[in-house]
Amino acid sequence: MKSAARDPRGLATLEATLMIAMLVPLLFAILEFGSALERWLSQDAATVQAARYAGEVGGDTPEVRGLLADQLRGSGIDPSAVSIEIVPARVGWREPVRVSVTSQHPIAIPFLFSTMLPLRSSAVGRGEVNR
Amino acid sequence: MAAITTALLLPLLLLVLAGTLQLGALRVSAARVRAAADLAALIAVNDQDEAALARTGEMRLAGDAADVAREFFARELELSAPLLAAAPAEVAGAAEIAVYASAPATDPRTGARYDRPTVRIAAEVPLRAPVFGVLAFDPVIVVNVLAVSSPR
Repeated sequence: MKSAARDPRGLATLEATLMIAMLVPLLFAILEFGSALERWLSQDAATVQAARYAGEVGGDTPEVRGLLADQLRGSGIDPSAVSIEIVPARVGWREPVRVSVTSQHPIAIPFLFSTMLPLRSSAVGRGEVNR
Repeated sequence: MAAITTALLLPLLLLVLAGTLQLGALRVSAARVRAAADLAALIAVNDQDEAALARTGEMRLAGDAADVAREFFARELELSAPLLAAAPAEVAGAAEIAVYASAPATDPRTGARYDRPTVRIAAEVPLRAPVFGVLAFDPVIVVNVLAVSSPR
């Protein structure tokens, strides 16, 4: 009994467990937030392209939504899980048109929490169609 | 002993994590303001002098191209206002916007030669970095933005 209590192997296992419990969340936080930031960058870039195109074709058209869906899909984002707003739906010549994209990115940190992080992107284009 | 060392180092590791995330957020912010300037320059370049185009067949920027560039730069920055350490209108107002309505032209700031009518936006955009402030660094990081656009 006395020798078992002094066995250093048990202590090492306990220490390793405690270290893992502290270090793994840190590692996952870097990976998860890095992934979220990368996705946010991609979503921003797609939104800018869509705003530019919305101005060119005159507002909220299937072509704009198609382009946005393609760009998002190419960045690994499911377009069906994304909220898209194009205001106004029909833009006049030299009027501003705003494209907003919102998606939810799951963040899961072991031993701490898991949540959905909203990623919002917006860009303004200018109507180029002289109606 | 290892667990105690890790526990003692944990605050330091958390600071490193916070700094890393702040750097990542700054990268996103910088990309946003660069995209804002790019889009504003592009929109201003599309503002063609149609009378001159019909008369001469040559592309020439409209007289209000600089105003359009500034207005849309402010509009784009407004969408990222929480990331900025100054008002979007203030940043756009202080931006150096140069319009080269006819080509060829040489940009005295960059030395670049433009073969087409060009709009160039140069701006210093202050970005908020609150975590750096906590870490005793400057909580405001200034990003230099340069956007150039010419019609094709």
